[in-house]
Amino acid sequence: MHFWIWKLALRYLFPKHRRGTFFTWTSIVGIAAGVMILCVVLSIMNGFDENIETKLVQINGKVKILSQKPIRNYTEWMQRLRLQAHILGVSPFVQGVALVQKEGRVIFPKCFGFDKKTVGEVLPFSKFILSDNGTYGAFIPKTVARELGLATGDTFDLYSPLALESIKNEVMILPQEIPVAGYFKTDWAEIDRDTIFFPMELLQEAYGMEDMVHGFSLNVDDRYLRSVCEDLNAWLPSNMHAYTWYELNEDFLHVLKMEKAMSFFVLLFIVLVAAITISSGLMTSVVRKQREISLFLHWGASRLQIVRLFCFQSLILSMLGIVLGLTTASMVLHFRNAIVQFLTGWFLPKDALWNFYNFEQLPAVWCWKDIALILAFSLIITLLASLLPAWKATRTSIIKGLRRE
Amino acid sequence: MNKLLEVRNLTKSFAQPLGASHMLWQNVNFALGYGENMSICGESGSGKSTLLFALGRLEDVQSGKIFFEGKEVTDEKSSNIKGIRYIFQHYQLVNELDVYENIVLPCYMQRCPVDAKLLKLLLETLKLESLQHRMPAYLSGGERQRIAIARALITQPKLLLADEPTGSLDEDSGRQVMDLLFYVCKTLGTSFILVTHNISFAKETNHVFYLKQGTLLNEEG
Ligand SMILES: Nc1ncnc2c1ncn2[C@@H]1O[C@H](COP(=O)(O)OP(=O)(O)OP(=O)(O)O)[C@@H](O)[C@H]1O
Ligand SMILES: [Mg+2]
Repeated sequence: MHFWIWKLALRYLFPKHRRGTFFTWTSIVGIAAGVMILCVVLSIMNGFDENIETKLVQINGKVKILSQKPIRNYTEWMQRLRLQAHILGVSPFVQGVALVQKEGRVIFPKCFGFDKKTVGEVLPFSKFILSDNGTYGAFIPKTVARELGLATGDTFDLYSPLALESIKNEVMILPQEIPVAGYFKTDWAEIDRDTIFFPMELLQEAYGMEDMVHGFSLNVDDRYLRSVCEDLNAWLPSNMHAYTWYELNEDFLHVLKMEKAMSFFVLLFIVLVAAITISSGLMTSVVRKQREISLFLHWGASRLQIVRLFCFQSLILSMLGIVLGLTTASMVLHFRNAIVQFLTGWFLPKDALWNFYNFEQLPAVWCWKDIALILAFSLIITLLASLLPAWKATRTSIIKGLRRE
Repeated sequence: MNKLLEVRNLTKSFAQPLGASHMLWQNVNFALGYGENMSICGESGSGKSTLLFALGRLEDVQSGKIFFEGKEVTDEKSSNIKGIRYIFQHYQLVNELDVYENIVLPCYMQRCPVDAKLLKLLLETLKLESLQHRMPAYLSGGERQRIAIARALITQPKLLLADEPTGSLDEDSGRQVMDLLFYVCKTLGTSFILVTHNISFAKETNHVFYLKQGTLLNEEG
């Protein structure tokens, strides 16, 4: 029965009639600080990651079928795709680059051709559109509008790569004159910087693709995402391939993961420092308690029990630190927006957060897997930190200890 | 030969630098019967404490034999000799525990249940009942020594080794502690060996020994 060791360990930290020693509280606060910061930072990172993932799904669709060559008879393909199980929506697209000119100013935007009838099945397209004057034309982001000095209702010239091709053959293809139908904003910086959305037919014409498309976006029941992709790839011809949104953004998602792992690793050092404090505090206590430890050994306590006596102390400290850390972390996360507002209120003008960092509300996702990892690491580190003092305690010589005054 | 403790030709020396050795005492012989008590007097540095530690197997000896309850314990581990307990000049209480917890602590470590009757008796005779929930730091020296005595006796040892138990106490409280020690040991039938500088305390024991120049001399000798 280890009951008395627990009790004695507890008493060493919280002597009767006292609310804990200075060592007890500094240790608890140290561990709590580490756990709190880890929980808060990882939760907010999870929040941002989740936002990013949602955005990635929104701009890509859940599955994309890409082809090495333009796909002919796309309507026929669409019908066949719709017949597959768990596919909730199909929309074709055309994509590429082009040269856009407006009164001497030139840019090379990415061009995305959407199918007006079906795009809503796979992307929240209507959410992206800020304004639409109803004309048959392109949607541009605010940056492109600024660069070219364009407004809704204006027109710009579109030179397709086909035009270059034609120069070789000494033929002149005239640029298309495209009206601006409105503005869009996806909140994905890369797209909002230099992409123009066109009705698909416009781009097909510009690229000379007749009834061909570059690929399809699919909406798929989330539960079957992977299996649908696998089935599709078994079934599609070899020059076509289906990718999930996370396969398409593998590198990016990998960077996010790395970022999180690095933060975890770096912030764990706070716990490490707290554990070292515990270690040194316990070491002092071992040295001060040589007389008592000798008596315990003389009374018949085993060396293992002495080890436990000190390991239990650090376990108690880290468990209390963890409880305090989790409590403060959940409080900080609960009031995170008030805290951010309070802090930014001092230094930044209104809207600065939105303008620079693209958020107003701090996202946070409490992930129990991360929390469990934080707790496990904190416990293990503090336990390891107590091993040295505990070992030192077992080296106590009974006679030397008892002879001390 | 029904003795509680018998010591034959016990010799203790300490190694000195340069390979020399310092003989502390040699050929120590004595025997102590059940329920008897004895005292050891001697100059400071004569080796009284060392002798007590040797009897409880906390200090090794060079030669000689120790028999406890008829069994040789010369090479036994100290924690296996449950019948011998110590009290010290400086009490050695655990400051983080209250009086009651201090007293019962050895039971936990020895993995034996607390004998409630014995505990009550000890608290009563040693006048500790009202102090049970106090912390040692706020008690007087006499009170602390009484707690140490109760703590030593709670596991029912046959032999109590007391190393200058009144060394830090003034005349009156020393007297009181000694009276209680004599009384409680008599009640429980516990033998004790008292190391003291106080001749009048020593005289009250059954046998008085002097440790002088490395030999243990009987009162008469
Ligand atoms: N580990 C050791 N190594 C060397 N010498 C030691 C050791 N332990 C004790 N001694 C020596 O043994 C001698 C006796 O010590 P001890 O503590 O037994 O004296 P004592 O009779 O109890 O004295 P006092 O009355 O002052 O308590 C001392 O001179 C001390 O220096
Ligand atoms: Mg001494």
